[in-house]
Amino acid sequence: MTARAVTAARLESRGRRGGRAVGGMLVLLAALLLAVLLSLAVGANPLSPATVWATLRGDGNAETDYIVFDLRIPRTITGILAGAALGVAGALIQAFTRNPLADPGILGVNAGAALAVALGVSFLGLRDVSQFVWLAFLGALVATVAVYLIGSSGRGSADPLRLTLAGVALGAVLSGITTGLALSNPDAFDSMRSWNAGSLLGRGVDTISSVLPFVVLGLVIAVVLAPALNAIALGEDIARAQGANVAGVRIGVVIAVTLLAGSATALAGPISFIGLMVPHVIRWTFGVDQRAILPLSAALAPVVVLTADVLGRVIIAPAEVPVGIVAAFIGAPVLIVLARRRNASAL
Amino acid sequence: MPLRVRRRAASLLTGSLCALLLLSGCAAESGASGDAPETAGTHDVEHARGTTAVPNAPQRVVTLEPLELDTAVAVGITPVGAAVASNVAGVPGYLEADGVAAVGTVPEPDLEAIAALEPDLIIGTESRHSALYEQLAAIAPTVFIASQADPWRDNALLIGTALNREDEVAELLSAVDDRCAALADEYAVDGETAQLIRPRDETTLSLYGPVSFSGSLLECAGFTIPEQDWTDGLQADISPENALSAQADHVFITATDVDDESAIPAAITRNAASFPSVTLVDTSYWVSGVGPKGAQAVLDDIESFLEASR
Repeated sequence: MTARAVTAARLESRGRRGGRAVGGMLVLLAALLLAVLLSLAVGANPLSPATVWATLRGDGNAETDYIVFDLRIPRTITGILAGAALGVAGALIQAFTRNPLADPGILGVNAGAALAVALGVSFLGLRDVSQFVWLAFLGALVATVAVYLIGSSGRGSADPLRLTLAGVALGAVLSGITTGLALSNPDAFDSMRSWNAGSLLGRGVDTISSVLPFVVLGLVIAVVLAPALNAIALGEDIARAQGANVAGVRIGVVIAVTLLAGSATALAGPISFIGLMVPHVIRWTFGVDQRAILPLSAALAPVVVLTADVLGRVIIAPAEVPVGIVAAFIGAPVLIVLARRRNASAL
Repeated sequence: MPLRVRRRAASLLTGSLCALLLLSGCAAESGASGDAPETAGTHDVEHARGTTAVPNAPQRVVTLEPLELDTAVAVGITPVGAAVASNVAGVPGYLEADGVAAVGTVPEPDLEAIAALEPDLIIGTESRHSALYEQLAAIAPTVFIASQADPWRDNALLIGTALNREDEVAELLSAVDDRCAALADEYAVDGETAQLIRPRDETTLSLYGPVSFSGSLLECAGFTIPEQDWTDGLQADISPENALSAQADHVFITATDVDDESAIPAAITRNAASFPSVTLVDTSYWVSGVGPKGAQAVLDDIESFLEASR
């Protein structure tokens, strides 16, 4: 059987898979609830669950109020939003490039955001992470637009291969400039260290609520595009024959990935591996239907992010490890396992 | 990378300017200085990388570590070049040292810029610059202190030996001790606790311990630093969740701009009732400016704090 026929056969087993996907969604939502509870109850400061509960009901003191309302609740919401955005962005970019090792950062999103933050730290004297958010978003947008323009210049349309090449090339250039800036002013970049590794702390509820609409918009676009992505998985010619607007879907995917990965990076810094790993695990377990992959990734990714964050709070208590570093430690072995499984989660 | 290119061009320019100045300086001096017996010779210095013959009166010193810069300036030898904590901030203002060229950053010194200065003595740090030693030694006699984490007084004495000013450094160190003792007598704060906090980023507050540079000065001025789970007595990192473990009668928080109240982290302001006395202090000498001059600057701050709160 050719790869295409395999994909078609897998898509036909959709009916059977459908039931599994719904069951899977319920399991993942339960896991998410558990992760949220853990994220509220566990931290570098060993408050008892009873104390946390009392604080939530309004019977806390200044210290527990600060810990629960200023730290744990905002970081939990940040983790859910950034996780969902990364998971869906990863699923989209893997379907779009038909490359199972693609990562949302491939369009230059992370490199653009990091450079914008580095410029802000160097030239505007920004020190606080809440000041980074809009700059990071702007940098992500500018980088993706530049990648899209480079990738679609010359003959023909912006095909995934050229976008990937443009993204990787531009990303390398932007990262080089960021490193240059960081090396020449290491003191100032101390304040950027955690953001650079990926961290959920320090984002106020106001910051989160202003990024929220962009995440929602990105998720809506992703859901709308899911059926067309299934068609494209069969090959572009077949997709066109089925009436899919291939060029339109591509632009839609680029917009959705920019919104989602840009929001996630702006909120939590460039957390790697989540966008790469989560859609894999989902495809491996639930098959290749994008209508299932996208929502399931949106549910699993926050579970992984929050669990990694909770681990980061306790492994070197009384200090903390930023979530991005823990995610990389969990992600690397998973990636090796995935790479060793032949055709486990091919596209 | 245009930035780097420009920096290189700038350092080349500085280098050639310095070379010109040096030539004219030599021409002017050659007639006057007939005999300078002790300047001519060298003395052997034992250091982290062995024994090196160092000029008795080094004229063109390059330093790669804040402590080395501070100590050199303190004994009246202004280095021609210094690796700095930040290219943006340059040589720390508290040193009041003019004409020191920045030669890269402390973790990444710029070898070309150093060579262009034609130094006659380079002082570096084994724990940071180990891999550069051979290249530096090819430029000029190079002395390395072992580690910036070792007690700064011992390091300062070794730097004094390298500069042939060991006695002066010893005097400066005892001046610091004497002033500390005088402050402790004068204000008698025994029993009061103090904690120096450095906000790193949103996940970490660094507390400085009794062995750290500023911590040791707080203690010798009479304060006690509350017990923490110190790494080598130097430092303890905590999550903002544990901000209350940094409680003390007086809390000092490092900042780039001591007049900017927003530099106080939320972990402290949101627990204001637990932190009755919060004072912002300058990072450039409380944390980075290790050395006899930095110590006097920190003691200036401690003295004016004690005077104000008397």
